Amino acid sequence: MSLIEFSQVLYDSEFGTALRESVYAFPIVEGLHLISLAFSVGLILFVDLRLTGLFLRNVPVADILKPLRPWLLTGFVVTISTGIALFIAEASKVIVISVFPLKILFILLAGINAIWFEHKWGRNSAEWGNLAAIPKGVKFAGLASITLWSGVVITGRLIPYFGYQ
Amino acid sequence: MSTLELFHSIQTSHLSSVLGEQNHLFGAVAELFHIAGLILVLSSILLVSLRLLGLGLRAHTVPQIFKATSRFFWIGLAFLVVSGLFLFIPAADQYYPNSIFWYKFVLLAAALLVHLTLYQWVAKLQSPKPAVAKLTGLIALSLWFSVAFSGRFIGFF
Repeated sequence: MSLIEFSQVLYDSEFGTALRESVYAFPIVEGLHLISLAFSVGLILFVDLRLTGLFLRNVPVADILKPLRPWLLTGFVVTISTGIALFIAEASKVIVISVFPLKILFILLAGINAIWFEHKWGRNSAEWGNLAAIPKGVKFAGLASITLWSGVVITGRLIPYFGYQ
Repeated sequence: MSTLELFHSIQTSHLSSVLGEQNHLFGAVAELFHIAGLILVLSSILLVSLRLLGLGLRAHTVPQIFKATSRFFWIGLAFLVVSGLFLFIPAADQYYPNSIFWYKFVLLAAALLVHLTLYQWVAKLQSPKPAVAKLTGLIALSLWFSVAFSGRFIGFF
């Protein structure tokens, strides 16, 4: 089964059809997808701003990273699950829009960057997080994260503009 | 002048026709600034409100977090207002009959009012009463997130 055929199966599924045709559920899921961004991308942005030295630079990184982790991870659970639901409802229409695969690519790259950061730096942030100079690799991960998540939001917001030309 | 007439004169203004004649990517860029501003405003409010509720960045005081996020809040709000005007002015007549549009702006007025009074006052106190802090956090959080949520609804109704 090709990707296009698979997207048609999702689109025609009971769940996809019900969500797409509902008066309130669809806008509610869209609304949750949007405001959960403040928890997911928004909180990760503030962590990245700390890593690049633009937010609370006198505060140990661990003091920001650790307490925000559960909130931003919960945010990502909501953003991603509402995103999957919205995708199922619009699958065959959205899959042919050129910016959509680009958005997925940005999500994958941002995810890989986050996992790499957690693996290399995140778990022992108490060791380097108090230093006056932030390690180069950490700064790079922070900048990459800001850039990639911005790419996700930008390409996501542009989907309707590339879909109805 | 009634509000209807005001909206209609905005719609028929010179600025409106200049904005309306722009390529559709102009609207797309305005939407991008609108969502960037939304993320900055909501997550700044979220960081301070979580702390007011005794959650999130607990290693620091409320005034520290309020001060550190304040810059991002105001930059975000500036993005929202300017891009919002660019989206509104060319389409004022379409927004007038939309009831969700009016709910959004009532909520925004309430959010701004609370922000400039209760919120600013409590967020600057070194040790606010826990009940007052919690209530303020809860009100700010619900108002700002409701503004964003209702904003997303405008296009559907």
